[in-house]
Amino acid sequence: MPIEYIRSVLGIFGESPFKPVHTHAEKGGQAVQKLQESVKAYCKGDYMAVHTFDSEISAIEYEADIIKQTIRKLIPSSMMLPVDSNDLLSFLKPQDSIADNAHHTAHWLTLRETELQPEIKEGVLELMERIVKTVDAYEDMVDDIAKLLETSFSKKEIKRILKKVPIVEELEHETDITKKQLQATVFKYEEELGGVGVFYLISLLRDMGNIADSASKAADRLRTMILRR
Amino acid sequence: MDIFDPIILLVLLAGLYMAWNIGANDLANSMGTSVGTGALSLKQVVIIAGTLELVGALAFGDRVTTKIAKGIVPIEDIISVDPNIVIIGSLAAILAAGFWITFATFYHMPVSTTHAIVGAVTGFGLVATLFVDTFTIDQIQWVVLGKIVFSWITSPLIGALLAFIIFTIIRIFLLARVDDPYKLEKKFGYLQILSACFVALAHGSNDVANAIGPLSAALSAANITEYGVIPVWVLAIGGIGIVIGLGTWGWKVIETVGSSITELTPTRGFSAEFATAVVVFAHSYSSLPISTTHTLVGAVVGVGLAGGLAAVDLSVIKKIIVSWVITVPVAALTSGLIFVILMKVL
Repeated sequence: MPIEYIRSVLGIFGESPFKPVHTHAEKGGQAVQKLQESVKAYCKGDYMAVHTFDSEISAIEYEADIIKQTIRKLIPSSMMLPVDSNDLLSFLKPQDSIADNAHHTAHWLTLRETELQPEIKEGVLELMERIVKTVDAYEDMVDDIAKLLETSFSKKEIKRILKKVPIVEELEHETDITKKQLQATVFKYEEELGGVGVFYLISLLRDMGNIADSASKAADRLRTMILRR
Repeated sequence: MDIFDPIILLVLLAGLYMAWNIGANDLANSMGTSVGTGALSLKQVVIIAGTLELVGALAFGDRVTTKIAKGIVPIEDIISVDPNIVIIGSLAAILAAGFWITFATFYHMPVSTTHAIVGAVTGFGLVATLFVDTFTIDQIQWVVLGKIVFSWITSPLIGALLAFIIFTIIRIFLLARVDDPYKLEKKFGYLQILSACFVALAHGSNDVANAIGPLSAALSAANITEYGVIPVWVLAIGGIGIVIGLGTWGWKVIETVGSSITELTPTRGFSAEFATAVVVFAHSYSSLPISTTHTLVGAVVGVGLAGGLAAVDLSVIKKIIVSWVITVPVAALTSGLIFVILMKVL
């Protein structure tokens, strides 16, 4: 008798999209961690390493894309989820942008070799540190989704996870302030940097800021997803 | 006539084949959730399911069996004219149901053995009116049949409602209050052993009839058993057939379906199983043959509606409804056809 002699209704149990959502968030975190290493290498003038990190981050970003596609496939319209599937997708989008923007930045770093003034160097490293902190806080929040599901959205767990959203937002806000200050600093050195140098650094800072911005947006969407349930 | 009459033996063999199918797939489906949550090992499930299925069949299987044997088609009206028609009709019905179940299983259609046997018995009854002058269509118990079909719609709905209530209670009073929900899940693993036992017991009490309903009709027509009484040994044939099905093939099905249900936790599994068992058992008590697996699907949707599951694929429901609508007429038609052929040949 072949194994195909099966008549089952247990296809009713769909595969949870939340587990890959968690893995997907981790990919964003990994990309950002690599980016920090890349930024450090750039500041040291180790451009070879910057190129290596770029391809490594590119691979991570690609993996994140594959996971995103898997998640989309897991939620056809017939799938009943404990949250609105559109809310889940609109939460996934900014989460995906974390790895995307990290990749963007990593690639931008490969495009031009720039001698950075100590003040700018210090600022860039600080900005990167703040971005890592923001994304770490974001991942800490995403870790709580499993318990939220396990308790089937108990009030206690909802409170716990929703308390973490403003933490991410706060950290993003601080990142934004650092970025703006640093942009002002760049113009202070416009003579030494030259037009192209200024353009390059302003763009770099904008790209870096977008990473934290994505984490903050995703946190906000997660809150919406939970509250609109 | 005695039990070694070739036609009676054929009905018996076909009944055993049906029982084998029930054990191989239906019982396996009902028990798959217990393995899926990790509450029980495959070996434990097979032992529990086999034992309690048999107990359920022997202790509580008579009511539904009586209903399928003579509740839809009043065979006493035919026996008084020609008992052979009932024996041949029983053979036709069990063969038709068996063929359809085999076909549906190969094509992975979520067909219910209950629907198949009820359709097949009705098909025989309809065609019998052509062979027995005193037996008319009005004599078929349409009200009973209506009640049975109605219960096929309501049983998954009641299962859903009950599972929804059970899981909501667990959610509000336990999951929301404990500090470590994972510890609670471990405790529910033990409760799930109980609910799995209950499911097997309920399944035996309701589904054994699908295998031996026609057999007991044939046995009473042949005067081997007393009319209107289902002896324990007849129930035992069905029960043992189901256990053999479980032991020879069902365990593989349990393994396959169990490994695909990885998202289910014991609290959810318990809610769905307990609700299913209560609904099926209540129907056995009311002599109504229903589908255990369809009730289980209803119960799972109920847990999902209560927010207990990460993903419930509702497309299965559509497949069930389609199979449902096809099964009854196909089984009836095949049964009628086999009956006409057998009447001509024998």
